[in-house]
Amino acid sequence: MKFTLVKDLRGNTLLRPLLGGLLVFILLFLSADIILKNDHIGLTIQTLSTTLYGNEEEYIEPVTFHFILELLHSDIFFMMMTLLTLGAIFSRLCEKNRLRILIINITMASALLDVLFLFGAYFFGPLFIPLWIGVFWIWHVGAFIMSLLSLFHLFAPKKALI
Amino acid sequence: MTHQAYRLSIIYFTLFALLLLTTGATLFFSKIGFSFEAIHNYYAGNEALFMNAKSTYGQLETLVPHLGAMGLFIMVMGHFILFASKKRRKGIVTIFILLFIAALGDIVSGLFIAKNIGLFIGVKLLSFIALIGFGYYLSLLVLHEAYLGFKKA
Repeated sequence: MKFTLVKDLRGNTLLRPLLGGLLVFILLFLSADIILKNDHIGLTIQTLSTTLYGNEEEYIEPVTFHFILELLHSDIFFMMMTLLTLGAIFSRLCEKNRLRILIINITMASALLDVLFLFGAYFFGPLFIPLWIGVFWIWHVGAFIMSLLSLFHLFAPKKALI
Repeated sequence: MTHQAYRLSIIYFTLFALLLLTTGATLFFSKIGFSFEAIHNYYAGNEALFMNAKSTYGQLETLVPHLGAMGLFIMVMGHFILFASKKRRKGIVTIFILLFIAALGDIVSGLFIAKNIGLFIGVKLLSFIALIGFGYYLSLLVLHEAYLGFKKA
């Protein structure tokens, strides 16, 4: 986390490409996560409810509690590490305080709700499915915005930032 | 003002950490169980219950990501509290060391239980309880310090 201490990040020839590379990897991670979730559990009301509750007509069994727990356990770890790093970079680069506090709050809170709503959908029924889909997209879009804004602030010429 | 944004990220990070520890404990409880017999059956197998012993390579699939993840988790959580609180440094360093030992005990003991070394069932249970207990304590401490800092700012 040395980048939190360096004063002029844009002028630092070592940290600029390092952070740039990390941000590109975060963007790739977010894209791949969307594709994987769509394939693994589904991102529409229909596909997710088939995954969670099964479908007798198509002979599809519902997933087990272990499956949901293991999925969320590893997801929580990747979410917390990615969003913490992204939040720290974004806080350092974006100088508009209200905007950064707002985006960090929305992204992090919806990522937390993502975990809780998937549990809710599994235990309390389909009411939580659209809510889960909503917060899933909100935190992904929020993280995309944070990454892209950070990349912009890192590489855009000084004139463009004013 | 940048510090305020950092603290906000840290507050959310600790909430995720509490969820991570809770799902970990629930997984342990529902998949293995908290009794000596349940832990033995899970790793060493039980013919009467049609349970196979866990193979070394099968265990490595869980062991390898946990080694990386737990080391990183303890380091990140620990460095937050070292920066935040100057009062309790000595006690906190002891907690890190205990956390690293507990994490290692929890991760590695399954390999020995599968070889029918009964002593490691106790090691597994004790290290898991220590890991979750100290993990919660450290997370709540970081949350408390970060929240106080956020309120002051």
